Amino acid sequence: MIEWVHPGLIFILGALLIPVLKGRWKKIYLLLLPIAALIDLLYMSTSKGVFWRIPLLGYELVFGRVDQLSLVFGYVFTIAAFCMTLYALHVKEDGQHVSAFLYVGSTLGVVFAGDLFTLYLFWEVMAFSSLFLIWYRKTKASSEAGFRYIMVHIFGGICLLAGIILHVQNTGSIAFNSFNWGTGWGYLPSYLIFLGFIINAAVPPLHAWLADAYPEATITGAVFLTAFTTKSAIYVLIRGFSGVEILIWLGAIMAVYGVIYAVLENDIRRLLAYHIISQVGYMVCGVGIGTWMAIDGSIAHAFCHILYKALLFMGAGVVIEMTGRSKFTELGGLYKYKYMPLTFWLYMIGAFSISGFPLFNGFVSKTMVVEASAMAELPIVWLLLEGASIGTFLHTGLKVPYLTWFGRRDKDKEPVVESKTEVVKEPPKNMFVAMGITAFLCVFIGVYPQALYGILPYPANYNPYTVSHIIAMSQLLLFTFVAFWLLRGMLHGTPTITLDTDWFYRVWGKKFIWFCEKPLISFADSIDEKVRRIADSFVWFSKNPPVASRIMMLTVSTVFLRPFNPNPLYTRYANDLEELRKLYPAEVHRLAIGSGVLLVLMFFILYLIIYLTYGVLWV
Amino acid sequence: MGIKLEQRHLFGILCVCLAASILVDVLVKFHGQAEAQAHTAFLWQTIPGFSAIYGFVGCVLIIVVSKALGHLWLQREEDYYEKH
Repeated sequence: MIEWVHPGLIFILGALLIPVLKGRWKKIYLLLLPIAALIDLLYMSTSKGVFWRIPLLGYELVFGRVDQLSLVFGYVFTIAAFCMTLYALHVKEDGQHVSAFLYVGSTLGVVFAGDLFTLYLFWEVMAFSSLFLIWYRKTKASSEAGFRYIMVHIFGGICLLAGIILHVQNTGSIAFNSFNWGTGWGYLPSYLIFLGFIINAAVPPLHAWLADAYPEATITGAVFLTAFTTKSAIYVLIRGFSGVEILIWLGAIMAVYGVIYAVLENDIRRLLAYHIISQVGYMVCGVGIGTWMAIDGSIAHAFCHILYKALLFMGAGVVIEMTGRSKFTELGGLYKYKYMPLTFWLYMIGAFSISGFPLFNGFVSKTMVVEASAMAELPIVWLLLEGASIGTFLHTGLKVPYLTWFGRRDKDKEPVVESKTEVVKEPPKNMFVAMGITAFLCVFIGVYPQALYGILPYPANYNPYTVSHIIAMSQLLLFTFVAFWLLRGMLHGTPTITLDTDWFYRVWGKKFIWFCEKPLISFADSIDEKVRRIADSFVWFSKNPPVASRIMMLTVSTVFLRPFNPNPLYTRYANDLEELRKLYPAEVHRLAIGSGVLLVLMFFILYLIIYLTYGVLWV
Repeated sequence: MGIKLEQRHLFGILCVCLAASILVDVLVKFHGQAEAQAHTAFLWQTIPGFSAIYGFVGCVLIIVVSKALGHLWLQREEDYYEKH
């Protein structure tokens, strides 16, 4: 008998108790849940296998598929959930905590799902619970971005469901394992499931939801969002589609795509969101390469990315919390305010990590994927991934700190944050503690990578700290800095937005709604009108049928006779017609009741005759 | 500690680092030529200073190309989606 519960259940059921507790007890409870889940995971790791099977409708649902791959994702999600909850501890609104915990719990459900139905169930819960982290910001922009977010995710969910249903029909089993891949209509289920997965992984051109919605989320909610949707998508891609070649190219292009868009961004969190896309590109690429080193690299990179991206968003969140602003055109020169140096340095640990500085965790994970591409002899991919590194350091390590904390050198622009009193809000201290813990983890893994390598599924014979790696990375980063310094004038924020692939559904979506509201509805209305007129004419006719028929006959006759005007017959008919129309409905000619009875009697006699003579006189 | 790091000091440290990164690379490549070849998959990895050049040129390219893409095509005013 197993003594432990599904870690996702700890979060999901635990979320229900959150509104009940108050004050300090609530905070303690919030922090205890991730710790409990982590201990649970450690118990689970002692016995790998398949647990929590529930038979349903002739299939067997598997809620607990425990192996090294799912465990490593489980660890990082739980650890990250702890840091993020600590970061969000000051939030008073219970709904935000409940949404966050449902989100984390359903992600763990996805990670340990052994069959497709369970996967789909938790996939949808993830989408809807994360939606509320966006909507809780309660601005117009966030409610609109949230709608677009959930529309895209519902679409992805439908593709996934369609693929699952077709797959189950074809194979008869709901087990979640590697999917067959090839070209041709026979692989349609795999294609649909693949589509559902890559939407969540934010692969261009279906990625716009991420850069659209994440910057509009709440300050604490955005930190949660960065980790779970995209990385669980990487997990399911590894399970289902590792080695699929198209992922290599999608990933490499993604890595550069995010970087290029980030150059143009004015909003600090949107820039970081594009970098999520860029870094997930490395992971997708690794999944595509499919070798042990590549898969290990993807997982390691996912692990490290969750930590340092959370740290970056936490830092940006503190800036927004304190100043109320998120655009580069409105920030600058913040370093001199209280708590800003601390925020800056903690942020920079995240920036060094994402850039792949030696001694930080990015260096031990990103270089693994790049090395895997080298071993797989893919020169273009290697160049693209290294190129993305350049851009990553440029933005997160150089542009963001420069534009946020340090003033612009042009003296004619007045400092954006004018007086000490503008930076009014004192940030809650738990945010810094959370950032500190996350930063510590980033450095710890960077300095002692074996802690991470030990829990990877495949044996990783990789040593990141070789002389050639360190030299290459140092050169890359130093000379990127030189180029940045020379061109820094070009990198100032502009009050613009950048169009991305969401242009298609945002603009055409509006056009489609306009089409439904105006042309389509007026067409429907005109048909309604015509039918109504026909019905009205029947009603008119029924008021006085004899007179109405006479009117109709007269109308027909006058039409025929009109060419022969002047004609005494025509004029007489025309006058009669006019009179009748005016008098309509004139008095209905009433029959005496005896005549009515006589008519009915005659009708029945006629019927009797027909009945009696049927078969004799005629058939 | 009492040491004030002025801008020219920082600039000097930077130059030293830049030079060192290239020099060490040259030394390593020419000292252990055979083993260097064995490790690398691509031709350019044997050139000393390749990453430096790639870093510099890559950074410039990214900035210039992205800015061009933005100005010529992708960037719009902030209320673009309300107006369209």
